[in-house]
Amino acid sequence: MKCAHLSRLVAVWGILCAVWKASIVQGARDFEKKVSMLLREEPQNPKCFAEGRKDFTCFWEEDEERAGSVDQYSFTYTYQKENSSTCPLRALPASGGKRLFVCRLNRTQMFVQMDIQVHRLGTLIHNRSLLIELFFLLDPPANVTVSRTGQRDQVNVSWVPPPLKYMDDSMMYEVSYTTDDDSHLGQVEVVRASSELILRGLQPDKKYKIRVRVKLDGISYNGYWSAWSDPVTMETLPAELDALITCLTLIISFILVVLSLSMLLSHRRFVIKKVWPTIPTPDSKFRGLFTVYGGDFQEWLGQTNGGAWLTPAFFYSEECPSPLEVLSELSPCPPLPPKTSRAPTTGSAEHEAVKPASDDREPLESGDSAQTQRWRAAPHDSWLMDRLRALQQNPELCSQSSLLESQDAYVTLSANDHTGDHHLAGVLEEALPLQALFASRKTQALCESHSDLGSVQQSSGSGRLSSQSSFEYPGQVWMPKGPGYAYMAVADSGVSMDYSPMSRADDFGKLVIYANEIPAHRRAFSSRHNPIHDV
Amino acid sequence: MLQKTGLLALLLMVLEWTRPGLPSPLRPICDLRVLNHFIKEARDAEDAMKSCREGCSLSESVTVPQTTVDFEIWENKNGSEQAQEVQSGLYLLQQALSLLRASVTNTALHSHIDNSLRNLLSINAVLRSLNIQEYTPPASVAELEGTWRVSTATDLLQVHVNFLRGKVQLLLLDAKACQQDVS
Repeated sequence: MKCAHLSRLVAVWGILCAVWKASIVQGARDFEKKVSMLLREEPQNPKCFAEGRKDFTCFWEEDEERAGSVDQYSFTYTYQKENSSTCPLRALPASGGKRLFVCRLNRTQMFVQMDIQVHRLGTLIHNRSLLIELFFLLDPPANVTVSRTGQRDQVNVSWVPPPLKYMDDSMMYEVSYTTDDDSHLGQVEVVRASSELILRGLQPDKKYKIRVRVKLDGISYNGYWSAWSDPVTMETLPAELDALITCLTLIISFILVVLSLSMLLSHRRFVIKKVWPTIPTPDSKFRGLFTVYGGDFQEWLGQTNGGAWLTPAFFYSEECPSPLEVLSELSPCPPLPPKTSRAPTTGSAEHEAVKPASDDREPLESGDSAQTQRWRAAPHDSWLMDRLRALQQNPELCSQSSLLESQDAYVTLSANDHTGDHHLAGVLEEALPLQALFASRKTQALCESHSDLGSVQQSSGSGRLSSQSSFEYPGQVWMPKGPGYAYMAVADSGVSMDYSPMSRADDFGKLVIYANEIPAHRRAFSSRHNPIHDV
Repeated sequence: MLQKTGLLALLLMVLEWTRPGLPSPLRPICDLRVLNHFIKEARDAEDAMKSCREGCSLSESVTVPQTTVDFEIWENKNGSEQAQEVQSGLYLLQQALSLLRASVTNTALHSHIDNSLRNLLSINAVLRSLNIQEYTPPASVAELEGTWRVSTATDLLQVHVNFLRGKVQLLLLDAKACQQDVS
């Protein structure tokens, strides 16, 4: 029992001793810090400071070699209107071969002037007059804590002020916060009469070192800046996209997408047309050509027989030019005297072909009773043939004159008009160069397409051929090169069939042969004009 | 003209009489920034006096309060003792500064001294707001304890500053009327 008691007492006493020694050691360290700081900052001797309301410490430094013993020195202080007093000194070793002489008072009078005198062996070595309340050197603030606030760039720093009664309102603090990289000097915030501070404007995702020091504000009390407290490290939260900005961005992008989609859908036809243009097909004009006969034109021609193909609407469509349109800008070709004497020499082949064709024409006409109103048996057929023959003999004359002089002209090689003969004559005159051109082919070519030529001629005579061509010269004179060449300079303003050889004469303008109302069985001729025309 | 001023004076007197007898209680002035302002102005006066060369001397010695504050002793005193000490000191300072005002011929110092006198009156008002009893001055100054005699203007103004910074402030800090507000 007694041993246990004793052992407990010894343990407690040991702990207390340890704590006391630790505090002494800590106090000594703090004292050393203050001494070193004052040695740097205070030029006057002795250097004095007060740590609390009731204590006061003064010291001075001397070299070890020159310093005497403590007994040689005397420290006397005198308050105003009072007698002087002495302070017991003690010597402490200091770094750098120096010695410190320290005087500490445990009871002081403030707000009154104090005169200090230091004598060494009767000689005054230091003299100073001060007010104690103006020389505070406090301990740094304790328990510096840093906590996060609701905002990402703010932290709350709080500390415990030095425990000095009556002086809380007179204290001033400095809060220093730096980042690890030390790219710039640490920022400092000053706080008065408050023991907490919110630091704002901190960078995200950074480590901050925060420390605090204290000083009296200088109105009633004054002093030196305390040492910095131990730094406290705090890491700020990483940056994050503002939720509001994210939501707004999403909403706006969604609205834009919806708008663009609706625009596309409302104009989808236009867009599709631009992106994937429809290739025009002649399917609508040739009923059944592709669907029934698979593109076989011969069969289709044979089957449709022309009559079914030639619907009234088609026949009387707007494409059918009126004679007035046709003859608008043409200068009439001088009528050629029929030279029947010559006819047999040149056009014998065609002549023969014409005759049977004309014979054929009759039954055809009779057969197409439904079409007779459209296909008029032109009374001028014979006259036409004469003209044709004449032109054959004089192809250059008429062709040149007509072609040179005509501009923007329609040429109808048919009697498919309802006007008088004089119009028709004009038309036929224009048609003559065409015929001449047709006739001016080489005989070989003629022979090749003998039947076709005959059919053409026949049709021209019968008036079935109603090819419409428009001569178009863009300001240039087109010089035919004689009978050896076949030229067709035409321009079209409707459905047309292009003859590729004639495309070489693009220099003269757009060259097109408009063969719109050729009967079905004649159509083959038109399409075969390509090899015929050698330019 | 005279009749109008006379009527005005009569009107004011009547209003003064008809005023309620008991004055309304003053709100306690606990903000020490008021006192800090007075201290700063007193320090300005002291600095001005230190730089003065001519026409800035006391004609005779004056009695001033002691400014010494020994915290152990001060804390042992009760509130009324502290208040008495402060109020007597303020009275003494008022007397001394009035004498200084009459002695000093420097016009720049006149403004400082007038300021200090006004501030002493304001401190009295502050003390009244803290429910500190009115001070009745003694018949003779010599009866007072805790006084000093100063003969120079600089000493007087220094005492003035130290008194405000010390005892007056401690009294205001310890005022119970203010401490009730503090949690």
